[in-house]
Amino acid sequence: METPEQANAAARKSAEIENHILCAAEMLPSQGPISAFAFLNPLQGMEDTPFDDALRTVRDIYGCEPYLEESRYRAKVDRGRILVDDLREVLAADLGDTAEESIARLCTRRELRLNMLLHPLNSGDEHELSWVIAESDALQRFRTEISHETRETLITETKNWILDELRQRAAGGGLENQRIQTAFEELADILPLRSIERWNGAQWEQMCLHLLWSFARQGVETTAPCPDPTASLIRHRDLIWKAYHSDPDQWVNDILVSFCAAWLDQGYAHWKLPNREQGFWNSFSALYTHGSTVGKPWIRTLNGELERIRTQGLSPTEVITESLDALGVPADEHFRYLRSTMLALRGWAGMIWQTETRADRVYIGSPSGTLIEFVAVRLLLDRLAANYFHTGQPELRDVAFADLRSVLKTALDQQCRACIDQHAYIVFQLAQILGWSPQSLAQLTAEQWKLLSGELVQFNSHEQRRVFHLAFERRMAQQALDTIAFRASRERLAPSKPQLQVVCCIDAREESFRRHLEEVAPDVETFGTAGFFGVPMYYRGAADAHYAALCPIVIKPQHWVVEDVVYSLEDSHRARTKARRVIGAASHSFHVGTRSSIGGALLSTVLGPLATAPLVSRILFPQLAARMHKTARQFVAPPAVTRLRLERSENETPGTDEDQIGFTLAEMCTMAERALRDIGLTHSFARLVIFLGHGSSCMNNPHESAYHCGACSGSPGGPNARALAAMLNDVRVRRILKERGLSIPEETHFIGGLHNTATEEITFYDLELLPTNQVRSLRLARELFSRVAERNAHERCRRFESARLDLNPSEALRHVQNRAEDLAQTRPEYGNSTNAMCFVGRRSRIRGLFLDRRSFMMSYDATQDDQNSTILARILGAVIPVCEGINMLYTLSAIDTPGWGCGTKLPHNVTSLLGVMDGAASDLRPGLPLQGVDIHEPVRLMFVIESTPDALLKIMSDNPVVGRICKNGWAQLAVLDPQTARIQVFRNGRFEAYQPKEPELPQAESSLDWYRGKRDHLGFAQIGSPSGLSEC
Amino acid sequence: MLTACGMIVVLSPALLLAVFGLSALAGIRLSERLVAKLTEASVVLGLFAAILILGVMLITDRRFIPVEPGDWVSIEDEHFHFTIKFVFDRLSVPFVILTFVLCGVIGAFASRYLHRDEGYHRFFLFYAIFQLGMILSSLAGTIETLFLGWELVGLSSALLVAFFHTRPNPVRNGLRVWSAYRIADAAFLVGALTLHHMTGAGDFEGLMGSGPWPEGRASVTDQQALYVGLLLLGAAAGKSALIPFSGWLPRAMEGPTPSSAVFYGALSVHLGAFLLLRVSPLLEASLPLRVTVIALGLATVVFATMTARVQTDVKSALAFASLIQVSIIVVEIGLGFRYIALSHIIGHACLRTLQLLRAPSLLKDHHALENALGQHLPDQRGLLRRLSGDKLRISAWRFASERGYLDAMLDAYLVRPFIAVFMWSDRMERRWTDFLTGQTSTSAPAPAPAPSQQTPNTNGQ
Repeated sequence: METPEQANAAARKSAEIENHILCAAEMLPSQGPISAFAFLNPLQGMEDTPFDDALRTVRDIYGCEPYLEESRYRAKVDRGRILVDDLREVLAADLGDTAEESIARLCTRRELRLNMLLHPLNSGDEHELSWVIAESDALQRFRTEISHETRETLITETKNWILDELRQRAAGGGLENQRIQTAFEELADILPLRSIERWNGAQWEQMCLHLLWSFARQGVETTAPCPDPTASLIRHRDLIWKAYHSDPDQWVNDILVSFCAAWLDQGYAHWKLPNREQGFWNSFSALYTHGSTVGKPWIRTLNGELERIRTQGLSPTEVITESLDALGVPADEHFRYLRSTMLALRGWAGMIWQTETRADRVYIGSPSGTLIEFVAVRLLLDRLAANYFHTGQPELRDVAFADLRSVLKTALDQQCRACIDQHAYIVFQLAQILGWSPQSLAQLTAEQWKLLSGELVQFNSHEQRRVFHLAFERRMAQQALDTIAFRASRERLAPSKPQLQVVCCIDAREESFRRHLEEVAPDVETFGTAGFFGVPMYYRGAADAHYAALCPIVIKPQHWVVEDVVYSLEDSHRARTKARRVIGAASHSFHVGTRSSIGGALLSTVLGPLATAPLVSRILFPQLAARMHKTARQFVAPPAVTRLRLERSENETPGTDEDQIGFTLAEMCTMAERALRDIGLTHSFARLVIFLGHGSSCMNNPHESAYHCGACSGSPGGPNARALAAMLNDVRVRRILKERGLSIPEETHFIGGLHNTATEEITFYDLELLPTNQVRSLRLARELFSRVAERNAHERCRRFESARLDLNPSEALRHVQNRAEDLAQTRPEYGNSTNAMCFVGRRSRIRGLFLDRRSFMMSYDATQDDQNSTILARILGAVIPVCEGINMLYTLSAIDTPGWGCGTKLPHNVTSLLGVMDGAASDLRPGLPLQGVDIHEPVRLMFVIESTPDALLKIMSDNPVVGRICKNGWAQLAVLDPQTARIQVFRNGRFEAYQPKEPELPQAESSLDWYRGKRDHLGFAQIGSPSGLSEC
Repeated sequence: MLTACGMIVVLSPALLLAVFGLSALAGIRLSERLVAKLTEASVVLGLFAAILILGVMLITDRRFIPVEPGDWVSIEDEHFHFTIKFVFDRLSVPFVILTFVLCGVIGAFASRYLHRDEGYHRFFLFYAIFQLGMILSSLAGTIETLFLGWELVGLSSALLVAFFHTRPNPVRNGLRVWSAYRIADAAFLVGALTLHHMTGAGDFEGLMGSGPWPEGRASVTDQQALYVGLLLLGAAAGKSALIPFSGWLPRAMEGPTPSSAVFYGALSVHLGAFLLLRVSPLLEASLPLRVTVIALGLATVVFATMTARVQTDVKSALAFASLIQVSIIVVEIGLGFRYIALSHIIGHACLRTLQLLRAPSLLKDHHALENALGQHLPDQRGLLRRLSGDKLRISAWRFASERGYLDAMLDAYLVRPFIAVFMWSDRMERRWTDFLTGQTSTSAPAPAPAPSQQTPNTNGQ
């Protein structure tokens, strides 16, 4: 019988375990189903920690790279994308007062670090190093980049010193130094010491290098360069893998991957997982209590274990506790152990957590507690696998299973010999570069060796890459800030009487679209705003089966909107719906049939040869096939004239019932007012104002949603634009807005539309409601858009290697349209790739800048905001997390594509209707694919906000999310003064004045002139003659 | 003229392989565009020649056109001939045309799908090997020629499964496919030797009598037919993933989508069935052989139907759907419906290639279907629901999800004893050499005992 104290202790322990798991769940990928792609920072769970500190730990936690490889940064140095000055500046800022400290009187810390950055130092593993020493001429010739003088000096110094020493020995003393003695003994085989007086230069060179290598080794040996070599090996599997190159995870994942896939399946498999309704643990337990374990000897005891757990009535948490105890994990390591266990299959674990916490986003969710049950299953299997491995090793026979972890750890710690050679080799290389003579190394005391070695440990590969990265960000930031500062010092540029106003999404892809629009038609004014246009809703189109959430992922919509076919066309709508249903049912039966036996045989024999038609046409003539498809679809598409059901009566609560659809008039007024005030569009209305949402289209691509609007949870944002336009055209709304001081002229008409960022096609909604006196302006607008489409397509094509650089604009448009229709195309477009900055402010201050599709752009007019910056606060509350999420996902995915991203698309395999795996079976792969990020340059986003430091500081302290991101450096921040061109940068918790470095900005006649013939990243430029600037 | 056409059919893929192989060997890096153009040219040329031959055959009503480049090895004393001989008949011509059409489509697809991938050239090299292998196997007039093509197909398949060789799973699964193929090849080789032994040559003519396909009559006794037939059936089972080798088929989905489509969905998986068709006169000669073929086919149908039901990912589901059809084709061959089997192969290959190429569209298609139906897709009512009793249901599901325990049984009863024997031999050898030298030899790190350890040089997860 348990005493109450014991029961209490057990309950406390259980609560602790559950708490650990909930904490670790924050670290799992936050990506939900792939068809509603969420752009979130993969390290969102670590945003409470400063960026630099967080990145220092991620390699151990996730096993992914936090920065690019050194060689890729050095390539940037060679190409001039990082300047040596940048490195110097970053080092200076990094080291502060300690920069000039002398390291063992050999050199200053600054010198040491700079040289370690500039020269590629080989620090290969044990085997590579022994090969280099034995087989290459590393010990015979100086490194090739060493200057002649350094080389000569080193050789002469060595020669004089050695001959001196020998002379002293001849005189009866000398060579007492043990180090020299050892080095000489090592050398005896290689160099003829007897005839030392007659040595030539090459032999002295060899002597010098040998001495350096020998002293470096002897010196480093006295220090302990790596304090805890097995610190990152937490799980049993990690230790076993390291010690035996055997991988128990392989066995466990084999079972767990297929079980998780069946658990999460949203309806793909015909046979559902038995007993799913009883929960993760119970259904696993029922499945594995019976059945054969042939071929899997390691789970031979699983039946019995499950049986025992059932009879003892243990809860999943108790099973976890039991497993941890059996595995011999001390209580203070529980959290780390559980975290690593969960991250071992982080894709599946993350998706389980998502379906548990955001059940509204999936068809079949998971009950609460599923993640804990997943961990219970995982640990049980881990335990069996480790146990089985343990019993199979004769030399471990005397070790108790609970001690296995510590025994392996100790054994591995003792084996760590490689680090000494690695460190010594770095010292050896540095000695050549910095001209440290053998004599100076020989004279170092043990204390000094410790200091030197400590320096090298401190400035390890991670820190070097961090400095490279900061230097690169510095270069990018300088380019951005110089450009803005230059442009802001010139006149503001906005048409005084705009003919047309276009409001696009904040998206970086719209930067070029807006620029071309303004280039072609100087009397057009453009704005940028988050692409859901301030109308968060669940939306269902006339031909859709389900609602989709159209708003940023962080918002949960409270309203439902549907699209209705107009009453006069209802009959045709009904007939077509029926036709679609019949065709759909037939095609569903066909698809199911081809996968069955008898039906499949009939279908494939009779209809199979017909499949060559779509096969050949889709692949060899994609555009023709697409056109045919489109034409065919038109017969059953819902009728063209539809309306959004937007209005709900005041006394209904929102919901999905007939009467609950839509917003109340008051809600519409609030949203409409806010949408206009946010972007500062409160006066000088043009006759036509167009809201353009955006979406994309492509074929055969599970990641299609990642190309849609990020602010609409990975769906096209057209319905939001349409809804806002409809609200603003409503005379009642306009009347109320007028009462609130926002007066819209009567002749102004709003239109919602959708910009397809892949094909550059633009669709408008509700055109049948266009007043007749506006038809001419719309016609002109459409002509304008068709010219802009060609120019925008042309600018995009410069980044596609498969598009020739000499395409003309109309060929370019055809090229991008072809890409979207091509079954084999893995890069229909590049999405927000290359994003690097975000400008929040008035367009007039940066109009005419070529920003190379690298900048998010949000319109905001500081002069219209109140004392408390209310508008800015609510804008930034959404803009900063959304843009930072997009940027971090691109940046990390580009840094380590297989790690943070989902690797290459080529072997992807859609599974459970939720995500993709690599090939036949693997972890679920969230993140962006290689084909989406291969041109992205990883930098943290630079926000440039037209406001004052005080306003920003206040917003950061009021809004914890914004504060967390900016203060912890997950994004960079600068403010542009609304009146002058003064820029202040947020660094170390305060704003500092920024001094522009480049006084001039390159100029080009047009965008085309600036980018023509170039594939790579381009600098920013001023488009149009300076005289053009005085237009306003 | 016909001979020239015939040679073009064979030489155009051979030349393609030579160009890709030699340029890779010489370290010359062809541009992506050039690789695509060469592939296209080779396919178009070969296809054109094959269609020409088909036209001539249809017009002149010739049913058998042999092309004989001659002996490769000939040892007169031993009466041994390794003859290279190609045959254009009613079986090989449709197969060749199918191969060219599908390879052509896949080549065009892959040239865009793999754009900028670092393995682009490697892929097209394997592709060329595969295409040559398929053409050689289809046209083979002797069992040696067939074996040559058969091996090329096997080699390229295994290499393509392991295409992403920096990850452990593709390498492991590639090795698994390779091992299954080796067993099949061993059966094939023994079968071929036996055939030689019985008839003195590897000509199918000698074996099947002189009638053009499918009217040949086997010229061996029913005992001989059974023996050779069983060996060839083993070979076919390995290549077409029939029981007990079925486990490799879903594992082969590790490569890039187009290679999965054309090899395991369409061409390579039908090669076993093709072999059975080629030697169908043997089946006629022996009733027990026919019964075995039918039984193996039926067993695989049942197994694959169950397994396909529980797959949650699109590529495995399509792999098992393919397997269902392939085994039905085998049953058809066993029943003697040769033309039906041939047209079934052609129809199925085209259909499945299209489905596999479109596999990444699954989500979009699913969504479109739901929109058309206006609701979530209805649950499939299947066998599982009708099974009474929880325990039976669970067992059936588990059986299907463990893929019939086939791989596990191969591991337990074939792989493990095999490895154990060699490990034992290694220990004995060590002991012996230690005894002779008087020293203790250093042994490699102790290999772990689990089955998945056949690939010790793969990396962690």
